Amino acid sequence: MIAHAIVETDSPDEFAEQIQKSQDAHPARIDANPENVEKGLAKLVLTLIELIRQLLEKQAIRRVEAGSLSEEEVERVGETLMKLENKMAQLKELLGLKDEDLNLNLGPLGDLM
Amino acid sequence: MKLYLYGIVDSSNQIEEAIYGLRGCGVYSIPYRDIGVVVSEMGQATQGLTEGGVLEHEAVVEKLMADFTVLPMRFRTLVDGRDNLLAMMQSYYRDFKGNLERLRNKSEFGVKVIWPADKVKENIVNRLRSDQTEASGPRRSAGTRFMKEKFERYKIDEEFQTKADQFIKAMDMFLGKFAVEKRLETLKTEKLLLDAAYLVEKSQACDFREAFWHIKSAHPGFKFLLSGPWPAYNFVGLSKHDPARDAEQANLFAEVARSQALVGAGSV
Amino acid sequence: MTKSANVTLLEILDRVLDKGVVISGDMVISVADVDLIYLGLKVLLSSVETMEQLRGSPFAGPMQEAR
Repeated sequence: MIAHAIVETDSPDEFAEQIQKSQDAHPARIDANPENVEKGLAKLVLTLIELIRQLLEKQAIRRVEAGSLSEEEVERVGETLMKLENKMAQLKELLGLKDEDLNLNLGPLGDLM
Repeated sequence: MKLYLYGIVDSSNQIEEAIYGLRGCGVYSIPYRDIGVVVSEMGQATQGLTEGGVLEHEAVVEKLMADFTVLPMRFRTLVDGRDNLLAMMQSYYRDFKGNLERLRNKSEFGVKVIWPADKVKENIVNRLRSDQTEASGPRRSAGTRFMKEKFERYKIDEEFQTKADQFIKAMDMFLGKFAVEKRLETLKTEKLLLDAAYLVEKSQACDFREAFWHIKSAHPGFKFLLSGPWPAYNFVGLSKHDPARDAEQANLFAEVARSQALVGAGSV
Repeated sequence: MTKSANVTLLEILDRVLDKGVVISGDMVISVADVDLIYLGLKVLLSSVETMEQLRGSPFAGPMQEAR
């Protein structure tokens, strides 16, 4: 017996690609492999740092939008954020982590980031 | 004997049709009060469960859908023995019953939409660039350039999101009219504008489909996918369960009742 | 492999692997989350092959070309 689920579309390939992509983008399932426990900790820490970094970045952008930062402040904030972003990139590379790895699935609340 | 579960049905009757499930084993229903759980027997070796089994699993559920309201089980749910199965049914009875009532005569339809994300972005970028006054001025240093880039990207993303929401709202207005419940996921990928599940009364399935075709024709540059009818995979809701605790609680109540009886008997 | 077979399989997988009734408890031997990873195209290919073998003909479910 084979399923006869009915799927109607004139672009099956494109949808297959996008569905596959959306599944890949989601954080990996729970990895119970004990060897990876340390990596799991690093992932968790970096995830939190990444969250904070993104929040700071958004905050800064909003203030730029509102015009509440002087030219000098924009320069300083920009430099700091840039360094932070570079640092994160370094750490990610060092630990062999990709952007998709740094996320937390909060169940019904969706993903953290 | 390990039992492989396909779903919960709203009847204690036996399945009339001969249905075969995983590993070609016969599928039958085990009644519990006024509902039933549909199973097939699985030998000791559970490693053999392949992804091909997914299709066999789905095929069984589809057959059941024709005659019953089904709460479809997640793939690869097994219970060890009939006793455990009945204990599970006892524990979840209220939940199952509630869901069966809620989902009676309804099917799930899936709608996915791909939109021309690149073109949308292009339009946004062009519009933003034309609005911008070219900021001449002192030499831009790294920090400022960084902020400017980030700001631009933020603006583009914001516009992109807004456009997406507008389209989705318009589409949902039509589709939602014939749906009792819905689950929408927006911009799962840049191109996948919408991934939605709609719970539709069987009597309104035609209207729903018509609404879908209407929207499709109204958005020529977009790509559409309609799937279904499915059993309500996306709309089954179970409360948090700890069967051990439930059993404990049941015992506790029995104890209390017995004590009360004793006290009553011994009262002056 | 028919292109449409691919997307149908993905639609089924999306529901059957992740949604529906999930029960828990000592007596339930549901395979743990650890095993339920999303399948790549390679596995899709093998699944469709299994499908074709079982059915004896290329998968051609009742799919219509969208009007």
